[in-house]
Amino acid sequence: MAQEKDKGKIKAAIKRRKKEVYQPVVPDMQLGFVHNNVDCIGCRACEIACKDKNGLPPGPRFRRVQYVEGGTYPEVFAYKVNVSCNHCAEPACLPTCPTGAIWKRKDNGVVDIDSTLCIGCRRCEAACPYGAPQFIPELNIVAKCNLCIDELEAGRKPYCVMACMMRVLDVGPIDALRENRYPTKAIGPQEEPVRAVKNFANPALTNPSIVFVPHSKGRVDS
Amino acid sequence: MKENKAEDLQLRFRTTRRGFLKTTAVSAMAVGAGNLLKSQPAKAFAYEPYPRDDELETVVTSCAHNCGSRHMLVAHKKGDVIVRLSTDDGRYQLNGHYGKDTEIEPQLRGCLRGRSYRQRLYSPERLLYPMMRVGARGEGKFKRVSWEEALNFVAHKMLEIKNRYGNQALLDQSYAGASYGVLHKSDQIEGLLGRFLGMFGCRTSSWSVPSYQATTTSSRWTFGTIHDGNEDDAFAYSKLIILWGWNPAYTFHGGNTFYYLRLAKQRGCKFVVVDPQYTDSAAAYDAWWIPIRPNTDAAMMAGMAHYIFTHNLQDQEFINRFTQGMDAGTMPDWARNSPNGKENFKDYILGKYDGQPKTPQWASNICGVPAEDIEKLARLYATTKPAALKASWAPGRNAYGEQYSRMAAALQAMTGNIGILGGCAEGVGKAWHAEAVAYPYDNWANIWYASIKSDRWAHIVLNYPNVTREEAGLWPRTDHLDGVVPNIKGIFWQGSNWFNQLTNINKEIAAIQKLELVVCMDSTITPSGLYADVLLPVATHFERHDVALPWYKGHYYIHRPKVIEPMGESKTDFQIFTELAYRIGEIDPQGYGQFGKTYNPKADRSYFFDNTAVDEAYLAQWWRTRVQGHQGVPISWEEFKRLGVYKFVFKEPLVAFREQIEQGKPFPTASGKIEILSTELANITDWGRTRYGSHIPSIPKWIEPWESLNSPKARQYPFHLISPHPRWRTHSIFNNCAWLRETYEQEVTINASDAEKLGIRTGDVVEIWNDRGRIVVPAYVTERCMPGVLVVHEGAWIDLDENGVDRAGNPDMLTLDRPSPAGGFAYNTVLCNLKKTDLEHRPGWDQLATARAHVFRREHRREL
Repeated sequence: MAQEKDKGKIKAAIKRRKKEVYQPVVPDMQLGFVHNNVDCIGCRACEIACKDKNGLPPGPRFRRVQYVEGGTYPEVFAYKVNVSCNHCAEPACLPTCPTGAIWKRKDNGVVDIDSTLCIGCRRCEAACPYGAPQFIPELNIVAKCNLCIDELEAGRKPYCVMACMMRVLDVGPIDALRENRYPTKAIGPQEEPVRAVKNFANPALTNPSIVFVPHSKGRVDS
Repeated sequence: MKENKAEDLQLRFRTTRRGFLKTTAVSAMAVGAGNLLKSQPAKAFAYEPYPRDDELETVVTSCAHNCGSRHMLVAHKKGDVIVRLSTDDGRYQLNGHYGKDTEIEPQLRGCLRGRSYRQRLYSPERLLYPMMRVGARGEGKFKRVSWEEALNFVAHKMLEIKNRYGNQALLDQSYAGASYGVLHKSDQIEGLLGRFLGMFGCRTSSWSVPSYQATTTSSRWTFGTIHDGNEDDAFAYSKLIILWGWNPAYTFHGGNTFYYLRLAKQRGCKFVVVDPQYTDSAAAYDAWWIPIRPNTDAAMMAGMAHYIFTHNLQDQEFINRFTQGMDAGTMPDWARNSPNGKENFKDYILGKYDGQPKTPQWASNICGVPAEDIEKLARLYATTKPAALKASWAPGRNAYGEQYSRMAAALQAMTGNIGILGGCAEGVGKAWHAEAVAYPYDNWANIWYASIKSDRWAHIVLNYPNVTREEAGLWPRTDHLDGVVPNIKGIFWQGSNWFNQLTNINKEIAAIQKLELVVCMDSTITPSGLYADVLLPVATHFERHDVALPWYKGHYYIHRPKVIEPMGESKTDFQIFTELAYRIGEIDPQGYGQFGKTYNPKADRSYFFDNTAVDEAYLAQWWRTRVQGHQGVPISWEEFKRLGVYKFVFKEPLVAFREQIEQGKPFPTASGKIEILSTELANITDWGRTRYGSHIPSIPKWIEPWESLNSPKARQYPFHLISPHPRWRTHSIFNNCAWLRETYEQEVTINASDAEKLGIRTGDVVEIWNDRGRIVVPAYVTERCMPGVLVVHEGAWIDLDENGVDRAGNPDMLTLDRPSPAGGFAYNTVLCNLKKTDLEHRPGWDQLATARAHVFRREHRREL
């Protein structure tokens, strides 16, 4: 991943970026994630698979399993909210990038960072409500989940999804996932996905491409 | 088939390379037309240069540790370097295709530890060359030496020790840590070291298994076998599953058991978790959590038995047909004249012998569970069919842990939940039987001249010769060595970090100074290694040829080729022992002239430099004779190697004791019945001559442990410490992997109200101590833990300060080296105290390097 930065290229990119009027990309088909907050055992195989795939040092984590717990002994509960990058319809990170390194793919809506243009200013990190962009101090760049675009292009699913021991994490067209008409083991027979849960930022902010099977204590609609 | 699937996915996602390029071309045209860019065209993949999986060489292999499973790892390598690892995606089996993942043939997906393997493989702690100690023992000063020098030293020393101290002087402490395959194996019974030392004629073995000896002994008494387990898919058929001290979200018991439990939940199964902690399993399976005081499980079970008997909820027909000693009606005639077997279980529960009925209220006073909850659970278990009471190992790692395991078996039997699909007789949980041994397993295997309870070695060394056979827990013999306590002068560690993992480490630190030879064979420099005289670098399972067999559940074999060349000067265990045998033969040709050839019959001495053909020959022979011959697997060795995995398909899930229940085949016990009254125990007259060393009741009974929250000692040490198996290590393995260390901390879990009283908040550094030692860890304050209970996960690598305080937080600084009569380690029988401290905690890795990891760690939100 380490590479020499081409200063001329970055300068040109900043110049171009300044002239540009930001217009959101509307993808032909938006891919997104589904995560079952209840059935997830929180094992973090997805996190480690992701770190191994992307060759990350200790520290930055593209995928993060958040442990939520509450109640008072002995009436307690716990669930997991598992998030990487939500490849939002209106990504908050994208317009903050001074070099235009962040871009959204037209075909599948994947939001990616061109690391040859990233100058490590970390504005995207501050803008993202989900903590997706991860600063890598060793390389002075910000990197994040690109939905394993190389695997998608090869006709396979991302590493995190294929790592899931409980089969509670999946990827698919977000429209179909939201309407629960996409065949996936992540959603059980009696379960309905929702767009928002507690401990996850308000989806109205960026229209993230992710749905959850919520825990009863994690619902925001009840 | 495979190609079709891939096409399906491409269509579904519309992300073919071509479509992708087309989009790029359109953007480029837009530029040409003079428009400003709306978005960056994809000129470069973000991380170029970045080899994609399909540009790399794919090699199917597996993980190899003692975690409770053995999942597939798929190495993607370039040249001799593993670039990344993936796992089973359905492609590598007979009739497989990408995405195939059925209930009968599920994918064998690796866990977080396996997925982090590159960090272990290429870690700075990797042992690459033979090393010999130059400083004091334990000081950690070594110099690099040649194999020649290291092996000659060991060979000469072995002969010297044997000649001077006799054939009990070398202690085999090999264990299943580093090498679990059919060819390269480290353990006490089938291990390479055991056969090597046995053939050499100097070996004391360690018979009690740290994880589950209570359960093993119990299952042998009760069922006559440790094969009391169902295959993992059988759990999907239960209507009620009681996870007693079992947290499959952390500790696997089969490759997909946790997933089958999820299927059970989706099919309406109810879950109960009996545990001092509200575990991730309790959360994921939406279980009714019953917090229980550690070490009191047998009492609660007795209370349940009382409720079942007094409400006549037992399956009397099952009891009458299949059990011995459950009640007066099932007592054998001989019992009334036996020395130890006059009592039956039901009358014990009803209080006929001691005047104390084991009522739910009686149990509640001991275990802290409200009597009404005990009654409710008893009724639920007795009236739901089929119901699985999965009595896990952890509550057996206690003083008198075997009584818990036997009490569980009694409950399983009285409710008739044995031998039926959806029921459970576990126990040990060993299910499908793999053909486990490809190397010569013959008359030389597992020869020993003394065999001790494994965590008594330090006690024996420190007190020799003033040690009794009862203290040592000697396994009886029929020759002149019966009852002879070994004079241990040397230790071999193969695939074992036992110095870090057995009980009461401070006692071990004292004992090891009395030894004359300590040899550590490992791929990593472990805390044990730091106390060794000689470090021998062992190739990992990525660097040698083998086949993985599943653990106690699962039915498959995974091919494990040599993925990369051995790193540094590493050799396999088998190479090292073979070469050592030849060297001993050189020094003493009269006594050991044939040692090398006998030890490794297919090899000659060139094996040390090239093991390819010999290992292939052992494995191919094993496949042909054992797997194809005995198990009737249709595919050839060559085909298996080409595919990578062979998954067995059964018509229905394997269930232990189905034949006994359905067809009336006798149980493999003395009576042919499920022995609630143990024939063996009932007829023992001289306990001193047994391996148990002291009296054990012949029926399951509640026995007060030597320390618990109910004992007077709790006034001085008010907390009960338990040390479960962690998720982010396999025992101590992977402790040095920063990827795993950043996901969890070595910490103490404490109940929020306890912490409040002591002014402790999450992240505060605390010291935990008792008479045995002291450790320093950060606190994790939660409502998910029972008051009075502390949890510190086992396996942290000790890191002692100048006063002997462990800054890393290994709970075995606090455990007691007093095994239970049946051999179970009393890892969870520990009282201690804690307080906030200024002492240093050293997490063992650079926390400053993790910019944001902790932001997303746990969120404790009491108000939710």
